[in-house]
Amino acid sequence: MSRHKTARVARVLAGALRVWGVSASVERDPAHAGAFVLRTQSGIRMQIVPAAPRGWVVMCDARPPDTHQGLPGLLRSLRQELAPEAAGGRLIIGSQSLR
Amino acid sequence: MSALPVSVVTGFLGSGKTTLLSRLLRDPALARTAVIVNEFGEVGLDHLLLEASDEEVVLLEGGCLCCKVRGDLVRTAGELLARRARGAAAFDRIVVETTGLADPAPILQALMTDREIADALRLEAVIATVDCAAGDATLDAHPASVKQVALADRLILTKADLADPRALAERLRRINPSAPQLVARHGAVDGGLLFDSVHQRSAPDESHAHSDGVTTFCLRRSEPLHGATLALFLQVLAEHCGAKLLRLKGLVDVVESPGRPALIHGVQHVFHPPAWLDAWPDGDRTTRIVVISRGLEVEAGWLQDLLEVLDEEVKACSSS
Repeated sequence: MSRHKTARVARVLAGALRVWGVSASVERDPAHAGAFVLRTQSGIRMQIVPAAPRGWVVMCDARPPDTHQGLPGLLRSLRQELAPEAAGGRLIIGSQSLR
Repeated sequence: MSALPVSVVTGFLGSGKTTLLSRLLRDPALARTAVIVNEFGEVGLDHLLLEASDEEVVLLEGGCLCCKVRGDLVRTAGELLARRARGAAAFDRIVVETTGLADPAPILQALMTDREIADALRLEAVIATVDCAAGDATLDAHPASVKQVALADRLILTKADLADPRALAERLRRINPSAPQLVARHGAVDGGLLFDSVHQRSAPDESHAHSDGVTTFCLRRSEPLHGATLALFLQVLAEHCGAKLLRLKGLVDVVESPGRPALIHGVQHVFHPPAWLDAWPDGDRTTRIVVISRGLEVEAGWLQDLLEVLDEEVKACSSS
């Protein structure tokens, strides 16, 4: 993953944390290319590592790694872990045509 | 049978909704309009002020549309449609006038999703009236009025004969830069401008605007998006931004549909199915998405970053 893409993913993760109201930092992991370290103020530390071609693996403490096929799954997992009380929604597509 | 247009007229108490509607209904071009009036209180009066055929003015009393009488709205709209179908009523458009206290979002969602009426109607425009004389104070004191402005397709600055509309117009432009503004004097405004194809207009030039707790993000992208990216983008927004997402409108260049852009429109987490246009409505062929939010405290570029990351993942998926 290029530095540009890595920075973009870091901004998306940091923004999502703000949306959920979680005080945390997201930094690049110097030990793994394209990986991040997420640290919350409450002391949780997560390592988020890209898994080719488009997936992500989340490692936290001694738990088994949590694998996601893409960003939507990663975001859902992080929210459930870090901000289970944050208000969420479910996409509803109505039947009414726009035209 | 083609879907009948339905518009929602919202605006805070005393902002001139009924006066506006009363004037519009006298316009011969809008004569075939059925009006559903919702009043908050035991005794409704506004419907008596609307000069139209009694058969096509229906009053919903005793509660606010957004929280108490949504079922009544759906049932009333359904009954109007049934009367029209059997030739007992003649109208080509429905206008719903909300109470001044109403949050328009649940009303729009009911119109978009209810099984009984959604297929027969198409949401045409959300019109918000704002009083030039008292609008500033109302926006300061009542968050509901800010949300009404944020959700609107059209803003009508009323009572411009009583106060200079310029400062208020600027404030409204910061809350909802994508909504064209019309000035009404003594309730008079060009009805043709109210109900034209509001969903196809251009996005504002600003990438980010903020006022009264409402933030508008305007995304532009010159490269076409994969259809799957668009679906994932909307899913992520609905899932994580929830009620902070007030409204989303966009014209999207989709890889799988060259030359036929997708028109998208959502209120909070509820979306219309995308409409596929036969051609671009103007010379600008870039994807334009406007997101109006409240309480979404993110950097200006967050939504653009999200869109780009999702599209990269979809590209990687399709090439692997």
